[in-house]
Amino acid sequence: MKKILLSTVALSTLFFASCSSDDDNNDNPSTGIEVPATYKFTREGSSTVSFGGQTTRIAMAEEIISKLKDNSYTEAQLDGMFAHEEGGNDFSDADLNASSKNVRSKTAASFDFFSNNQSDATAIKEMFDMWIAKQVDDVFPNWNELAAAGSAGQIADGTSTRYVNANGLEFNQLFGKSLIGALMADQALNNYLSDGVLDAGTNVEENNNGTVAEGKTYTTMEHKWDEAYGYVYGASQNPETPNATIGDDDSFLNKYIGKVNADEDFAGIADEIYNAFKKGRAAIVAKEYGVRDEQVSIIREAISKVIAVRAVNYLQAGKDAVEGNEMGTAFHDLSEGYGFIYSLQFTRKSGTGQPYFTKGEVDTMISKLMAGTNGLWDVTPATLDELSNEIAAKFNFTVDQAK
Amino acid sequence: MIKKVLFLFVAVLAISCGSDDSGSDGNGADTFDRKVMLENWADNIIIPSYEDFQTKMNDLNSKTEVFVADGSAENLENLRTSWLNAYKAWQHVSMYEIGKSEELTFRNFMNIYPTSSTKIEQFVASGNYNLQLPSTFDAQGFPALDYLLYGISDAAVSYETVITDAHKDYLTAVVSRMKTLTDEVVADWETGFREAFVGNSGSTASSSVNVMVNKYVFYYEKFLRAGKIGIPVGVFSSSALPEKVEGYYSATNSKVLFEEALTAVQNFFNGKHYGSNTTGESLKSYLVDLNAKKDGAGLDAAINSQWESARTFSQSVDANFANQIESDKNKMLGLYDEVQKAVILLKVEMMSAMSISVDYSDADGD
Repeated sequence: MKKILLSTVALSTLFFASCSSDDDNNDNPSTGIEVPATYKFTREGSSTVSFGGQTTRIAMAEEIISKLKDNSYTEAQLDGMFAHEEGGNDFSDADLNASSKNVRSKTAASFDFFSNNQSDATAIKEMFDMWIAKQVDDVFPNWNELAAAGSAGQIADGTSTRYVNANGLEFNQLFGKSLIGALMADQALNNYLSDGVLDAGTNVEENNNGTVAEGKTYTTMEHKWDEAYGYVYGASQNPETPNATIGDDDSFLNKYIGKVNADEDFAGIADEIYNAFKKGRAAIVAKEYGVRDEQVSIIREAISKVIAVRAVNYLQAGKDAVEGNEMGTAFHDLSEGYGFIYSLQFTRKSGTGQPYFTKGEVDTMISKLMAGTNGLWDVTPATLDELSNEIAAKFNFTVDQAK
Repeated sequence: MIKKVLFLFVAVLAISCGSDDSGSDGNGADTFDRKVMLENWADNIIIPSYEDFQTKMNDLNSKTEVFVADGSAENLENLRTSWLNAYKAWQHVSMYEIGKSEELTFRNFMNIYPTSSTKIEQFVASGNYNLQLPSTFDAQGFPALDYLLYGISDAAVSYETVITDAHKDYLTAVVSRMKTLTDEVVADWETGFREAFVGNSGSTASSSVNVMVNKYVFYYEKFLRAGKIGIPVGVFSSSALPEKVEGYYSATNSKVLFEEALTAVQNFFNGKHYGSNTTGESLKSYLVDLNAKKDGAGLDAAINSQWESARTFSQSVDANFANQIESDKNKMLGLYDEVQKAVILLKVEMMSAMSISVDYSDADGD
């Protein structure tokens, strides 16, 4: 039976392979776009790909979420990492300390969503500030206490230990998973892949003429595209062929593209995203902006879907744990789920200027999740199903597929 | 669209394969008396195993008291022997994480390894600790005793002299907590839980058989296969981690503990009464009753035969798994493969023959 199944899988793989190669043949042969085998683009022998700032911010974010679990840290130290200033002795890595970049200024800061909406941008940044503050004020002092409904402390999740506030929230998870939306997805989808950024000023004219940015090998438009790429693959071991290690390269978007791709219901989504980045970049080189914009749509939809799938996945895992009375496991899953729900407001529905869920809708979902007297201690399976269904209904997948 | 059609095609093939298979699995009628099996489990295996473990914990407790009062070499040896006897008996109860032991997360407090020598030494030095906290799982239980009784220093002779009074205080605290938890779990089985367990004899997901089989296979997969062999030999990491074997500090017990656990798992499967050769209704007799087959022969026989293969393979492995991993990792991987083969038989073949769904996932969170 196994052999039959295996050969069936092999057979179907062959069919899929032939389908997708058909697709490849439709890659607009008339346009003269040369899509390279890997994400490698050069001009006169020099690479034109650059996204050092994204790699730096991912590394900064990694250290912040790690130190959020170290109860020897003060709020000022953690704030210093989040809103780092050049030369500040905030990180363990000297290169990060020397950098002029920081995470906070790019949180909820995309051109499309926030350039005319400082009130939401500020409210969201302050939410991240508050999670840091609450971690230090509410959770750290109770590091060596047992958590209970209404009191912060530690709780077992299998053989792991989780540190939660009085409502069962792990702030390091809220922070890390919300950043996937507020930093990585928002910057990639709503900033660097935005017409307003790619085509800003004289970008199109310069790109048409092959005029490079001052002192650089790339045109500004090429660079903006690469900066979007960097928020997904900036920590990759080999960013030219990042899918070889997808999921293992960071704790953020890369990780969860890998996780969703590993679910057979969504297998191939990592290639879909990577191929669209590659083709869109090649389209910029070929000055085929219509093709570029088609790839933007593909990337926006796929990355938005990754966030939604993980939100539902964690809500359902949390539901199973609640039903099994494994509250530590439930809190961990639901704290991750909280972050992914929060991230939904930074998704992007292609062809619109809107996210799949507005900030208001996200805030309502979070309120439902935390509605119990003691927050997650009181959450019901029915609520978790309701939220799961609400999210899946806006995408073309089912709750079962996301499990 | 084409993809959708193909999916259907694949699904249809898969379904037809599946139903062919279950056809050959017997007549499909499940007339097995689950209640009789539950009684055999509770009365002849689980409770006697716990009671024997409790006896050995009591002995460990008294040998600890003797050693703390008089730290002679002889008293240390007696304490070490008692520790190993209790650790072996533990292998017979670790899999029953149900009822009170589940509520307490008994196994987390008794046998999380590798133990943290750093944490233990901090607690010993400060005298300030709370062994109820999850963050102290790796500073208590049998592995912490392994460290205290063998690992404080490399001294081969006069080891008793390196155990300071502060270490003795901590030793007492650890043993006392183990004894308290054990007493609590045994008392629960003896005063009511046995009846609840046996009485819940249906076949729903929350019935005792379904839950116990899940606990049992989960234990086999995660704690016996992965914990004792797979993690230290590096199946789940980029390199081998020999310091993660069970009984790392005493150095010679990792294989003994593994073999004891394998015996316990097999005895439970066969319904063998604890400390006796008598057998009763069991997973084995359930499979026989279902006429479950594997390659033409009984699935029950295939499972037992796989465990015998693992046991035979184990004979060629060093008694100290850490040494074996360092000298010839491949032999340890071979043992892992033999143990792993039974996971498929239990988790896929046995559980589907019994129509029991797997209620746990392999995901480790995050």
